[in-house]
Amino acid sequence: MSFRIISSLIQKGPIRILARTESTAAITPTIANSAQSDEPIDITNPFEKDRAQCILCRSNITPNYKNVKLLSQFQSPYTGRIYGRHITGLCKAKQEQVEKEIIKAQNCALMPTYHKSVEFLQDPKLFDPERPIRPHKY
Amino acid sequence: MPSYELALVLRQMARPELVSTLKRTAESILDKGGIIRKIENMGQQNLPYKISVHGQVHKVGNMFTIEFDSAPTQIDDLAEEYSRDIDIIRKNIFKVEQPPEIKCTLHEELLPPAYRKEVQEMVRIGQKKQKKKFNYNSGLDYYPFQK
Ligand SMILES: [Zn+2]
Repeated sequence: MSFRIISSLIQKGPIRILARTESTAAITPTIANSAQSDEPIDITNPFEKDRAQCILCRSNITPNYKNVKLLSQFQSPYTGRIYGRHITGLCKAKQEQVEKEIIKAQNCALMPTYHKSVEFLQDPKLFDPERPIRPHKY
Repeated sequence: MPSYELALVLRQMARPELVSTLKRTAESILDKGGIIRKIENMGQQNLPYKISVHGQVHKVGNMFTIEFDSAPTQIDDLAEEYSRDIDIIRKNIFKVEQPPEIKCTLHEELLPPAYRKEVQEMVRIGQKKQKKKFNYNSGLDYYPFQK
């Protein structure tokens, strides 16, 4: 039994070595050109993700209290509450602006407080309240 | 003189009356040494909620905005004057300011908690608040008996 195993190893051996020498021959010249030693190469992280931007920053929009159609997209159609940052996906500054402007619009009687205006109910959805970035508080 | 914006909701009324009311509100700005830059009419609209003022319930209103420059000391007087006007349902005076330059911080906010700056700050504060514990097998610093 032992003899057989050894013989099989010997048979496999030379083939493997051959394969290795071929692959190293192909790679070595490129490495030798780029760096002389084994030092790590200085390159930017190839796995880094692109910088994320929120919808309003991407299209450079500053919310205004007179732009009711835009603001009502950040309002719940059921309760009229303003959706939180974990749902809207806005950055902190923009979310704060949106909230301020919505409250201004509501004070000026341009926007309802306990529901969404009926004419805006069919507007395209910017986000899905059922799938927040972070889990709901409730 | 800083710029302001007056958001007006006027009562539902006939056109000549509406004109006179708007003229009255505009003139009171001019009387106080202000400058009117723009008057915008947003038309007659159904109010999103009923508003009761001056002993009446309103469900329809005429929306106007007036952009004007005025001394900041006059704003309170203006608001008080408008609040006495029966034809005005609602008035809001906002200061018009250049919107601040915002750099989107969403990328930093979406990082895992350990990498977020505010979380790091919170951890630091938490560690600061922790009471110092006496280490019993150490070289005293300091609990030499009797508690
Ligand atoms: Zn942003």
